[in-house]
Amino acid sequence: MGSDMQQLGGPLIIALLILFFGGTMIMSVMIGRKRENADGYMTAGNKIGFGISAASMTATWIWASSMYASATSGYTYGISGPIHYGLWGALMILFIYPFGRRIRAVAPRAHTLAEVMRARHGRSSQLMLAGSNVLGSVISLTSNFIAGGAVISMLSPFNFGQGILFVAGGVLLYTLWSGFRASVLTDFAQVVAMLGAVVVIVPAIFFAAGGTDMIAQGASNLTPEQSNFFSSEAFLNQGAPYIAAVLAYAIGNQTIAQRLFAVREDLIKPTFITATVGYGATIIGVGMLGVMALYLGIEPVGGDTNNLIPQLASTFLGPVLLGLLFIMIIGSLSSTADSDLAALSSIMMADVYGQNIAGKGKANPKTMLLVGRITMIVATGTALFFATSQFNILDLLVFVGALWGALVFPVIASFYWKKVTNAAFSVSVLAALLVFIAVRFEWVALTGAYGIFIDVLSVIGIGVVLGIMAFGFFGKKTGMIVGIVAAVASAPFVIGFLHDYTVLSGSLVAYAVSTIICYFMSFRSSQDFDFDLIKERTGDFDPESELDDIDRELDGLSADTARPTR
Amino acid sequence: MVTAITIYMLVWPVIVAGVLFTLVRGFLEDWKESRDAGRPII
Repeated sequence: MGSDMQQLGGPLIIALLILFFGGTMIMSVMIGRKRENADGYMTAGNKIGFGISAASMTATWIWASSMYASATSGYTYGISGPIHYGLWGALMILFIYPFGRRIRAVAPRAHTLAEVMRARHGRSSQLMLAGSNVLGSVISLTSNFIAGGAVISMLSPFNFGQGILFVAGGVLLYTLWSGFRASVLTDFAQVVAMLGAVVVIVPAIFFAAGGTDMIAQGASNLTPEQSNFFSSEAFLNQGAPYIAAVLAYAIGNQTIAQRLFAVREDLIKPTFITATVGYGATIIGVGMLGVMALYLGIEPVGGDTNNLIPQLASTFLGPVLLGLLFIMIIGSLSSTADSDLAALSSIMMADVYGQNIAGKGKANPKTMLLVGRITMIVATGTALFFATSQFNILDLLVFVGALWGALVFPVIASFYWKKVTNAAFSVSVLAALLVFIAVRFEWVALTGAYGIFIDVLSVIGIGVVLGIMAFGFFGKKTGMIVGIVAAVASAPFVIGFLHDYTVLSGSLVAYAVSTIICYFMSFRSSQDFDFDLIKERTGDFDPESELDDIDRELDGLSADTARPTR
Repeated sequence: MVTAITIYMLVWPVIVAGVLFTLVRGFLEDWKESRDAGRPII
């Protein structure tokens, strides 16, 4: 694949992998405990500081696929392409922040979002959310292994199969013993490597490729649409579907929820804002490599735009910076892969074993840790199987994305509205998923009155998405106004037109149907749920965590006693 | 136009450098706090 491209030698690749995974392994060993604590394995005790949590949130959200996709967007849609990828991806973090604060307030010591749903509703809601989280994390893990195998095969003499084994083995090795604690701490080193590489590599390639001359002479390689910063093509094909996905990905991703439960409560805001800026700037910056390739008139190797980043790097960078780029990509995929392993283990420990097999109060912390570690090994094996087989994970991603979209309103409403019932939650999600599949795969041709009906649902979906976003930051009244205005304003442009775009229509319809059903099944219910119950129903599994709490309280008391009174 | 696009392309690594500085400073503060309190950083 990379026969006409510069490669790094086998020994150098091995040395870089040993340096990277050896370094993370040492960090993991340094924080290792002979007797790990089950709650620490899942949330690191709910009290991590700003530096580590913000670094971890940034590192987790940046995955290798997002770097490749941003460069592809820049190459395909021109100068606005990376913005339409990176900005909306960054906003996924920002828009979950206000809901994150609410979730943390009602469930301060939870481990997973699904666990909170059980406390709020019951088993079916919990398993629905946990199932979607598991599928999402396995897909993400697979995608990261594939990215690792691809970059190793392109930049070294090793093949794809060897590459994914190196990456999977390395990530499992340093995450297995200490779980989430290892994932979070190593994220810091990985984010320093990744962000440091972006700071150096993007300008280095820019100037090596000709700098301002590249832009002046290569302008003719861009179409008028690619040269336009306000390209409607880029917005409709790249930006708009992503806006629809903003809330779905944020709600459906356990890796973000896990960090939400781990960070010290008063640090949630700066953590989320820093991660938003960090992710956005990094991914848009890397996307500029795709724009540069467009100006240079470069054709991607094998016609695959995923090859653009390594291709540009191997063309314009020397071995040292090429090695740095290699570390950047390995860092991005490892930080997300270890988070996926930690997320999967938490779900199996808390949601499957802790609450559904053993039962709360009866779960043995030692067994929980064993479940978590076995989960990591099984998940790694499963992702390796998917990565090496011809199984198309993108087909699976379509269903998971729809399930996440269907979950958004019922999950968020469950944290604010006392009337939402378990039946309303479950029925609305399943119905929305069914309608999504019918629309996405055109079980009935989207023509005539049916097509118009689907467009009307899409208009409601637009109102729901934008209304929820506004509600998070500005409250119910503003959310309602924004939702209604968005729906009314978009109607003339959507009705009679949008059903031709089945992916976007399917997503919007999923939002609309789950919202409508959840609302109408709940508004007449007599349920008056007491949110304080969630705090009682979620919490530590391991008695050692309770001892830690007592220690903390005693520390606080002794500090108060020692502090001079005014 | 060339200048504007050059700035547009190169401003991102500058922002990334700012975020990196913030994260490293935050990490060092976390480390110092945990050391002073005599507990592990995580």
